[in-house]
Amino acid sequence: MNILKIENLTVEIGGKTILKDFNLEIKSGEIHAIMGPNGTGKSTLTKVIMGDTNYKIIKGKIIYNGKVINKMPVNERAKLGIFLGMQMPVAIEGVSNADFLRSALRTKEGDNFKLLSFIKEVEELTKKLHMDSEMIHRGINDGFSGGERKKNEILQMNILKPNIVLLDEIDSGLDVDSLKLVGESVMDYYKDKKPAVLLVTHYQRLLDYIKPDFIHIMKDGHIVLSGDKSLALKIEKEGYDKLVGDIYE
Amino acid sequence: MNKIIINGEDIKIEGNSDIEISIGEASKFLNVQSVKIKIIKNTDIIIEASEVDIKLDFYINVLKDIKANIYEYKHDGDYKFQYKYYLEENSHLNVEKICDGKNIKEMTVINLNGENAIANFNLKTICKSLEKYNFLVYHNAKNTVSNILNNGVNILDGKLEFNVSGFVLNGMTGCNIDQKARIINMTENSCIIKPNLFIDEEDVIANHSALIGTFSFEEVFYLMSRGISKKETLNLLTKGFLLKGITYYKEILKEIINEYWR
Repeated sequence: MNILKIENLTVEIGGKTILKDFNLEIKSGEIHAIMGPNGTGKSTLTKVIMGDTNYKIIKGKIIYNGKVINKMPVNERAKLGIFLGMQMPVAIEGVSNADFLRSALRTKEGDNFKLLSFIKEVEELTKKLHMDSEMIHRGINDGFSGGERKKNEILQMNILKPNIVLLDEIDSGLDVDSLKLVGESVMDYYKDKKPAVLLVTHYQRLLDYIKPDFIHIMKDGHIVLSGDKSLALKIEKEGYDKLVGDIYE
Repeated sequence: MNKIIINGEDIKIEGNSDIEISIGEASKFLNVQSVKIKIIKNTDIIIEASEVDIKLDFYINVLKDIKANIYEYKHDGDYKFQYKYYLEENSHLNVEKICDGKNIKEMTVINLNGENAIANFNLKTICKSLEKYNFLVYHNAKNTVSNILNNGVNILDGKLEFNVSGFVLNGMTGCNIDQKARIINMTENSCIIKPNLFIDEEDVIANHSALIGTFSFEEVFYLMSRGISKKETLNLLTKGFLLKGITYYKEILKEIINEYWR
């Protein structure tokens, strides 16, 4: 059982507070969805958990299996098993997906790394995600569409097999078919490995495929309302303004 | 395939069926040798230079409708080379150049003299001492294209400089001129990029970019977020930066990179 706990986390960037006394606990086998209007700190939350040093932690703790990881470098967090599927993954010309993934997996597996198994798994996953098999030899996200970049994130998740999966708007830029593929692929991974999943989304449609146990609405840097999947349907029907407005009234 | 091997003061030619080549003294007083090449058929030319201690001027003429690829690799020496290219109508020249010398000073003059002539340059260098590359690109005819890409990694005592000037004369319509230069500076030394566009014509597409610095936070964060250490991340990014677009000398360049970034 892996537990990621966020305690009273306050975070700022450029003097502006983004997260305020944020609290959340996620355990293996749980899927949490964070929803909320733009600019409420949803993406910041995932980046801070991953260790983005552009953000300054003013107070509070990020705790993984009882250990405070506030000052842990990003690669060490990844080695613990934390994975962030990014909203806008950067394109890196010249560094091939194959070299990148091989380096990442070799770092994780050390002497247990097997090149043939790696090649086979990549082939299977590119097929499953309906990706061009040549993409593995291209630069990281180089010339990829928004949808291809998201699929590449999911491919990496499947290769690296994390314990804590953070997915930041993994549904944006995806057409209906790709959304289904990505959603189902995340759920297959979830059923197989039972990670803790924290996904950030704006839309209920992703939750047709990835079934959350908990839904949280964020506003002004912290969670203002939590519930089960029915909360997503309520958001779809009534909108954030009305729901979040209700909280404050 | 033609090969020009320059070692010390010796210049050796192998297989020159598609080119006419002559070697001579450009200046006895200044100890400058010259290599004149006329490319008469579609061909590839390999230029390998090592431990050269002479000044050398290249005159390279690409005839009408001819496509030529020049792959150049120079290492272990102090180089003072000058290149003058003359491209005729519908000619197409690609140059890939790998530099791993001690001190290098180069002047490259590209004359796009015929309509629809295309010149693509891709230079990669690992600068450890003083290196200065000057480019003058003259669009002397309509619809000519130049793509000048200069990439360098500056290490140890390196001081790297790229100066690229592109000229489009009035009346030379439909030209396309692109200059990209980037230096990854891993030292406290200063590096310089001077990109200049001198354009006296409205019907031109012109782009230039110049960047000196390290790799971006986003690139480093992305790779490290998959568990890769900072050292290996920088190695991967450096390899990618230098290898991009290199074909013929790719394996040699990989070996050079591995020497510096194990």
